[in-house]
Amino acid sequence: MAIQIFFWFVAALAILGGVGVITFRQPIKNVLSLVGTMLSLALMFLLLSAQFVFVVQIIVYTGAVMVLFLFVVALLGPAREDRAGHLRFHWWLAPLAGLVFLAFVWSMLSGLTYHAAAPVNLNVFGTVASIAVGLFGQYLFPFELTSILLLVAAVGAIYLSRGGYQQGSPDDDKQAELDSPTTHSALPAEDREAEVSTPAAAAGANRTDEKEEPGA
Amino acid sequence: MPDPVLLAGDAGVIQIGSAGSIPVSWFLVVSAILFALGTVGVLVRRNPIVILICIELMLNAVNLTLVAFSRQLGNLEGQLFALLVMVVAAAEAVIGLAILVDIFRVRDVDDVDELSELRG
Repeated sequence: MAIQIFFWFVAALAILGGVGVITFRQPIKNVLSLVGTMLSLALMFLLLSAQFVFVVQIIVYTGAVMVLFLFVVALLGPAREDRAGHLRFHWWLAPLAGLVFLAFVWSMLSGLTYHAAAPVNLNVFGTVASIAVGLFGQYLFPFELTSILLLVAAVGAIYLSRGGYQQGSPDDDKQAELDSPTTHSALPAEDREAEVSTPAAAAGANRTDEKEEPGA
Repeated sequence: MPDPVLLAGDAGVIQIGSAGSIPVSWFLVVSAILFALGTVGVLVRRNPIVILICIELMLNAVNLTLVAFSRQLGNLEGQLFALLVMVVAAAEAVIGLAILVDIFRVRDVDDVDELSELRG
């Protein structure tokens, strides 16, 4: 009985956090509400005896991803979201659509009866060892694919956040020798001439030319 | 032939309450409510950062369903899938936030309807 009361407490926290995510006006409060929801979900994973997923949920989600969100919100400053959307009936149509969706899912769930949960050996189920057996055995190929995905995401984030899109900032001259020839062409013409006229950038261009020759 | 460790079905050495006394449907209902909240957030909110946050909320709801069925069926594959979903969600958040930071550097955006550069 105590564990059911605990479940309802955690479930109420999770749903309150979810309501906070969509109702608060300031993005920083949205992010903190989502942190609360994720911690509650981590406790639910523990109730489901998924120990490793519980730890990963706290470390990766609330520890890394949410801190990244907080960092970006703090970097970009407070956003204003005063006016309504361009669509006329937007404000009540969207919650109505959400309620209809919830009713669909609810009707699907309410028609089912479930067995009691399968008996599992809780010394094995959900531990790091048993997860590793699956992850490095039968599911090794998807696991390696996710590592490639993470590598692509990291390289893409570095490329995107380096600021090649920005025009005429004082950092451009410093970055000129690091830039590849493709990002040079994205800059305006006068910036390109200014960069080539600096000796460091000319040396950098020469280096890239030398590198390209053996490849071709 | 599934791995015997993946399907640790028998024995039942220790059966501490947990999901034995909480029906799996409760977890599914919580997950459905969270997913619907995330959907409404994506539809209602105008700020692109908040829309990304709502997508994270929906992915978390899906993870709860996966782990709940993993416990219900006594099969670890649901938890493995939840871990892969976490990796994909992290990559999505990183790329989405990097794009937003790059756009915010040029101009302030407080409405996703203003982000129409890719329309051509």
